[in-house]
Amino acid sequence: MLRTWWSRLAGSVGRDATDDEFDEEARGHLELLTERFVARGLTAEEARYAAQRQFGRLIRLKEDLRARRALPGLDAIARDVRHSVRQLRRTPWFTVAAALTLALGIGASTAVFAVLDTVVLRPLPYPDSDRLMAFRSIDRRGTPHPTSLSYPTFFDFRAGTRVFDRLVCYRGSRFTLTDSMPAVQVSGAIVSWDLFPLLGVQPTLGRGFVKDEEKPGVHVAVLAHGLWQNRFGSDPQIVGKRVRINGNGFTVVGVAPAGFQFPVDSPDVQLWTPLSQDAALSPSDLEPVTEQRGARMLDVIGRLKNGVTSEQAQAQMDLIAADLAKRYPNHNKNVAKTIVMPEVERLAGSNRTPLLTLLGAVGLVLFIACANVANLLLARSTDRAREFALRTALGASRGALLWQLLIESLVLGMLGAAGGVVIAWSALRALLPLVGDNIPRIAQTSLDGRVLAFCALVAISTSVFFSLAPAIQAGKTPPSDALKQEGRNLARGHNRLRGMLVIGQVTLGLVLLVGAELLIASFVYLVQRDPGFKPDHLLTFDIGATDTTTVADQIAFSDRLRERMSAVPGVRSAAFGFPLPLQGDEMSVSFDIEERRAAPPDRPHCDIAIVAPGFFKTLGIPVLRGRDFTDRDTTEAPRVLVVNEAFARKYFPGEDVIGKRIESGATNGKEKSVMREIVGVVGDAKQLAVSADPDPIYYFPYKQMTWGIGTIVLRTDVPPLQVESAARAALAELDPMVPMYGIKTGDERAAVAVAIPRFLMTLMASFAVIALALTAMGLYGVLSYTVARRRREIGVRIALGAGWRAVVGLVMREAMALVVAGLTLGAVLASLTARLLERVLFGVRPGDPLVLVAGCVVLVIAGLTAAYLPAARAASVDPMQALRTE
Amino acid sequence: MPKDKSEVLQGTLDLMVLKTLDAMGPLHGYGISRRLEQLSEALLQLNEGTVYASLLRLTQKGWIASAWGASENNRKAKFYSITRAGRRQLARETESWERIAGVIGRVLRLESQR
Repeated sequence: MLRTWWSRLAGSVGRDATDDEFDEEARGHLELLTERFVARGLTAEEARYAAQRQFGRLIRLKEDLRARRALPGLDAIARDVRHSVRQLRRTPWFTVAAALTLALGIGASTAVFAVLDTVVLRPLPYPDSDRLMAFRSIDRRGTPHPTSLSYPTFFDFRAGTRVFDRLVCYRGSRFTLTDSMPAVQVSGAIVSWDLFPLLGVQPTLGRGFVKDEEKPGVHVAVLAHGLWQNRFGSDPQIVGKRVRINGNGFTVVGVAPAGFQFPVDSPDVQLWTPLSQDAALSPSDLEPVTEQRGARMLDVIGRLKNGVTSEQAQAQMDLIAADLAKRYPNHNKNVAKTIVMPEVERLAGSNRTPLLTLLGAVGLVLFIACANVANLLLARSTDRAREFALRTALGASRGALLWQLLIESLVLGMLGAAGGVVIAWSALRALLPLVGDNIPRIAQTSLDGRVLAFCALVAISTSVFFSLAPAIQAGKTPPSDALKQEGRNLARGHNRLRGMLVIGQVTLGLVLLVGAELLIASFVYLVQRDPGFKPDHLLTFDIGATDTTTVADQIAFSDRLRERMSAVPGVRSAAFGFPLPLQGDEMSVSFDIEERRAAPPDRPHCDIAIVAPGFFKTLGIPVLRGRDFTDRDTTEAPRVLVVNEAFARKYFPGEDVIGKRIESGATNGKEKSVMREIVGVVGDAKQLAVSADPDPIYYFPYKQMTWGIGTIVLRTDVPPLQVESAARAALAELDPMVPMYGIKTGDERAAVAVAIPRFLMTLMASFAVIALALTAMGLYGVLSYTVARRRREIGVRIALGAGWRAVVGLVMREAMALVVAGLTLGAVLASLTARLLERVLFGVRPGDPLVLVAGCVVLVIAGLTAAYLPAARAASVDPMQALRTE
Repeated sequence: MPKDKSEVLQGTLDLMVLKTLDAMGPLHGYGISRRLEQLSEALLQLNEGTVYASLLRLTQKGWIASAWGASENNRKAKFYSITRAGRRQLARETESWERIAGVIGRVLRLESQR
């Protein structure tokens, strides 16, 4: 047997040679036959005809042989598929219902897999990317967490490591290109010199950086392919030319290949410069940032040496970190540990668990969909019991019947897959904008070959799965029974199986419903809760680097800016500051409390922000006690701070915080850090939307901490976007070389801040709705079938005086028995699985009994609704007719 | 998957081809056809092409092997010969054929006695 197949397989491949061989054999045979007839006295022509007659029709024979040589598959399968399609067309409603149900399940799974594949599974777009590791310090304060590195610490690691071939630091930055009008603002990254060798990427034009280009005073850049095309007209002679960036002449040394991205989670980066940018002394700093051991601002990526595991690497880096902690206790004591993890894992980060949870959820949806299709198929196979019995009686083996059922299921599955691809495509188009670029790489999601292969795999495996139920039943009953009784015995067995499928659907439906409820409750909590400021009627935007060289110039510019912006028609007040509430960028700086002094590593730390006078009023953050900043809070005046309520509560519980003094580690220009007096308390404006409690924060007045202007905020009397052009004109009047970018309304900022929760909630809620609808359909199907089967019995009951209520109650009881059984199982399962969501939930506990109860109520209502129609149909059975029909 | 209707006939032809090759040694398709014609005394009217289908089946099962050679009139022809596995199969088939033929014969005689 095996041998036959093997030779057939070989035949399938080398078909032409054997065909020719046979031609030659047949020709020889025919010639010999012809000669024989000639010898018997026929003419040449007659002999040829006779020979052909005796040999048979050559063409048919050749086809026959060819079929025997090749695998039997294609022809036979094509025949079975044609048969299945005929069967399915005979029952169009069944086909449409089943294919749509499957399309929903397969489409949802495909969409979720596409996202998961892009965000979590797909390797990074660099050669040998599995050896690329993210490297961070671990900050032991609070919950130990990964944190960025300072330049001196990074240099020490780079010099001391024996486990990495290369170790590269990077940080995002903004660059203003002013060599031609209009000035543009581009995102860039400041990196250590060997970024390109580390990634194994060769610039298309020119080269990457060299080691000497880390030295202060060097101004070189590599351009992204897109920037080179759009801004420099794809100039092939660009390498070696000078372009004006941030007011300095930069030499272009290279152009990155098209499609090159780094960091992967900042796809808008269009420019790379070596860390010489940070090695230069800026006018507002005491020492260059490359020498400030306390300034933790760098992310690090490394390429592991061959044969070194990430655990071994981390062990060696830990040794260096421990040594640094001893040598520089003031700065490194709290970061005496490190973490080395695959960069691709870091990118997926906290999104990995929610996405895997979603994949699990969508798996449940798929199962529910399959159960429905299995249910439909069972009902159909009961109807087809006679057909099967007839075929069995005519000699079709059980295997042949099962094969036919499987082929039918596969045809359905393929229909479902085709619909699923359409659904997945439209779902992704609708859902991806909800997240924007809040999840790294998610924007690259597409239905590529991998995803389509997954889709096909899901379709095939589900087809096999849901064809199982009817297949088990088919052929089990002796054909004589089926032929005699219209398969009523068969129906009883089917119905038990169908009931079990419905119970399973209710169980999983409850699990999904509880998950959706939790995410909805959490989202509503995040959105409804007071963000601490008024996001409506707020326009925010950033501006590019100004050409100011001194701090005094910058302050003067900012005063004029505020004045101009306040004068824009429709603007009630204008201010600036950073980071804005809900922005997600946190700056955390330690401080020393005057009354309770501590050694540097033991000091408390929390968020800071630097704001202009009028910032609180413009954003709508209430000043609760004390005062707001004024224009008189300059370096000539006493140093002051404003804190939020959470700060006062946490660090000065039960005391009046006004008048207390703290010394922040943040320093202004060439000053040493000094004690600053707290002069005001403001409401808790949330820096992060997705956190449980308000975080403490202290604010600096801009003129006493002149780091940068940050984001401009305008409180408007009119819809905020209406003042955009006027604001742009005002800025251009002030300085035409300063670009305006990142324009967002306050509402947009609030929406972006909850993008991921919104995304999760939308998906989970859609799954729950689909699950609910499918479960109700499944229940409806089973009950309709029961009612039809029990027509006679119901007729008798009605004839004996059973009223409408009694009959409806009969059906409803059956429905509720199934629902309650499902809910009991579902409650157990839901309380186990809800914990998976714990980390993405805010303001609601996964074990909340109310949530469970609400889910049960929804399912009971859905169950009663689904049961009503069949029940009403039962109650309206005409006893005379019911008894007569059988 | 439905089976070939003519399974029995095919089996018989295969058995005859196998026996022919066993008795006569290597033969080409034409030779086998002549031999079958001769043995069946022209009672077995078959398209000679079907012999090739049988030869292909037997080759695929490994019961016969083939090699190119020269025919009587010096044409290129494919010669088939029985393999060892083929001989074993022939022995099995012959035995079961005789048994079935015996049974059928007895049954038929029984029927006609009534």
